[in-house]
Amino acid sequence: MKRSICLSIAIFFMVCFFGPDIIALQTSESEELFFSSNQAYRQGHFQEAIDGYDQLIRSGHKDGNFYYNLGNAYFRLDQLGRAILNYERARLLMPGDADLNFNLSYARDKTLDDVSESQDLVSMTFFWLKDLSLGELLLCFAILNFLFWTAFLIRLFFKFEWTYYVSIISLILWIIAGTSFGLKWSQLNTDNRAVILEQEVNILAGPDMRDTVLFKLHAGTIVHYERSEDGWSLVSLPDKKRGWVKAGSVEPVITEANGSLALLKTGA
Amino acid sequence: MKRSVLVPLALFQFMLISFPVMADVSVSMRLDREEATIADSINIMVSIAGARESDSMPVLKGIEDFYVTQGGTSSRFEVINGQVNSGIDYSFFLQPKKTGTFVIGPVEIAVGGKTYRSNKATLKVVKQPESTGADRGPLFLTAGLSSAKVYVEEQSIYTLRLYHQTRVSNISLELPETEHLTFRQLGKPIEYRSFYNGLSYDVVEIRYVLIPPEEGIYKIEPSRMKMTVAQPERRSRRGFFDDSLFFSKGRSVAVASEPMELNVLPLPGEGKPSDFSGLVGSFKINSKLEPDTIKAGESATLTVFVSGRGNVNRIPDLKWPEPDHIKVYADEPVLEVKEDAEGLSGSKTMKWALVPGKEGRYKIPSLSLSFFDTKTNQYRKIETSRFCISALPGEVKQIQASTDHSNGQKIEGPVKKAVKELGHDILPIHASIKDIGKGSLIRPGGLVFWFVFIGPFFIYAVAFLGLKLRKRSGGSIALLTAKKAAKKFIKKCRQDGLSSNDLALCFRNYLNERFGLSLGSLTSEEAAEILKSEGVSLDTAQKIQAILKGLEDAVYTGKGQNACELREEASQLVRQIEKEIR
Repeated sequence: MKRSICLSIAIFFMVCFFGPDIIALQTSESEELFFSSNQAYRQGHFQEAIDGYDQLIRSGHKDGNFYYNLGNAYFRLDQLGRAILNYERARLLMPGDADLNFNLSYARDKTLDDVSESQDLVSMTFFWLKDLSLGELLLCFAILNFLFWTAFLIRLFFKFEWTYYVSIISLILWIIAGTSFGLKWSQLNTDNRAVILEQEVNILAGPDMRDTVLFKLHAGTIVHYERSEDGWSLVSLPDKKRGWVKAGSVEPVITEANGSLALLKTGA
Repeated sequence: MKRSVLVPLALFQFMLISFPVMADVSVSMRLDREEATIADSINIMVSIAGARESDSMPVLKGIEDFYVTQGGTSSRFEVINGQVNSGIDYSFFLQPKKTGTFVIGPVEIAVGGKTYRSNKATLKVVKQPESTGADRGPLFLTAGLSSAKVYVEEQSIYTLRLYHQTRVSNISLELPETEHLTFRQLGKPIEYRSFYNGLSYDVVEIRYVLIPPEEGIYKIEPSRMKMTVAQPERRSRRGFFDDSLFFSKGRSVAVASEPMELNVLPLPGEGKPSDFSGLVGSFKINSKLEPDTIKAGESATLTVFVSGRGNVNRIPDLKWPEPDHIKVYADEPVLEVKEDAEGLSGSKTMKWALVPGKEGRYKIPSLSLSFFDTKTNQYRKIETSRFCISALPGEVKQIQASTDHSNGQKIEGPVKKAVKELGHDILPIHASIKDIGKGSLIRPGGLVFWFVFIGPFFIYAVAFLGLKLRKRSGGSIALLTAKKAAKKFIKKCRQDGLSSNDLALCFRNYLNERFGLSLGSLTSEEAAEILKSEGVSLDTAQKIQAILKGLEDAVYTGKGQNACELREEASQLVRQIEKEIR
């Protein structure tokens, strides 16, 4: 018994003393990789830069800047589809970034297909959702949550008129912030957008090469991913066109690795 | 009265004098028909608008092949809504010398020292119809087709002529019904005098255009015309009022034309262009570009004008590919359809605004239109002219920068120019990132998350429950105190040596504790009121009041050293109070 207690205490102290150092070591390695990737990009070694950013992302660093830089590197290699894919992923993490929005807009201009997404009523009403990340909305909700309960706490002891109004206002803001957070969460969980990666792909009537070609799509076009079957993906367009495409030709913007939970856990 | 009559007359006279020539002078000429026989007399009306007199008689051109007789002169003067219109009409009669198509006019006339010219008119003079040998009587109807053999969509003129030597009125017409063939009237009916079989007739002529949409032989049934024919009454005494104008009977008469046949041929397949527009007739195309030299960013107007005779409703809206670096903005095409004795004619005007984006010389491609020419019976292609548009360097809008300072003085700054984009590229990578590996401060499940989201709620909940508990516990103490108050009083009453003053104080404490009061002094009346308000019966309250009154008397009279007599009664009354308010 005593032994186990001693062991636990020892582990606790080790974690307390050496834990931060281990994390710091990892961070230092990541920083080194990041800067070397940046250097490779500047020297025109875009594939090397892509490998570096990719490694950073796969190691769990879901930073919007990594996706942004990765998108830039793919753009330089004329891989418009992958560039837009990574810009879109970066946008999930830092939607308000001006550089990102500029580059994404420029890349979209280079796409060949005229596919426009119509805005729904929720997006128009909660117009700020597209400019705020889930993490930012969570932070807003946290601050308003604190203010809300503090106002009600004050109201509990001091029943003045001003405390009444402060409570009501904080309640309204709390509801708006909470709803915004919930909607953003829902949007991210139901976001089934995918990006066409190849220069030109045939969209077929069925998951077979012998099926009829329904239409063609080009790199960078955003489609809605529905499901996959035997190496084929069923995609659709906002105008209700649907068809099957080879799974490797299209990639969803949000995967399990960068879904809303992952975004929150990594502190997006 | 005289004055009121004289003033308008004077004004009228003034207007007559002061407006010898009121408006722009114009001369027009009109024939009473466009086709006549050699035996006919054709009336020409020359109208001069905007003048009440001319310097000389009108001079008619193109009448060498006619005998001319002057009909008369009339002048007009009218004031409508303050607008003064005046004019002179000259009438002439022409008698053709030979058959053929003649262009009459223009008419030249001098007004105010200036010579004006009228429009021209075409007159077709044909042979007099051969005598059928049979006298058709004083009233008959004829029908005729300008061409009995036409192509699909080619127009043919169906002419009805009513010849009458007697006066007719209330004319009604019943046109034949032929499948796929519609009769479109051309203008109003015209009336003139003509000869038929050497006899003079008054003629009413109505023209219709027929545009057959499909090939085949169309049988046109006779047209029927009903009218009232004036029938002069026979009178023994002849005189002025014997004229049929005043005294005549009318009888209803119906006449019919002869049946006709229209042979509609299909359009030839040979030489049919792939872009055949469906137009059949005679058409021409004109185009102009104004101006042909502009600055980049400004607009020039390209106008294409397609006009002709035939099925003009089918003139298509021409389209052409947008040239590089030129923005094209099309206007709504304007179609104008006219009807005359020869059928339908008209035009379509199409306009485009061309805006070159940058300086340079641009070729404007020509536009073409194909149609079937009914004169040559061949397909023809007409094209617009080829144009070049020269775009000079555009003028950049210059904004004079000025800074409005608080002292009101404007200081002239440098001339600002619109920012011109010279290239396009993406923005560079992000090279510095704060705190790689660190997530945000708030993460679900983290200490800060719980503190921020659950902490305030927890603190509020604790505070709320604490307050509730405190309130509830405060009430319980008061209840316990109240319950104990009676026991305390009774216990006190049992003590020996209790004075009247002590008993009165005990009762006051009892009331304070029992009902949560803080009375410093208590009179018998106050005590009774309190008890009544707390639900004690009136009898008990009065008894308590009496006891307290007795105690007060004892205290103030110096006899209150011992309150033994009242102790027992007071105890019983307190028990009674407890029962009643329970």
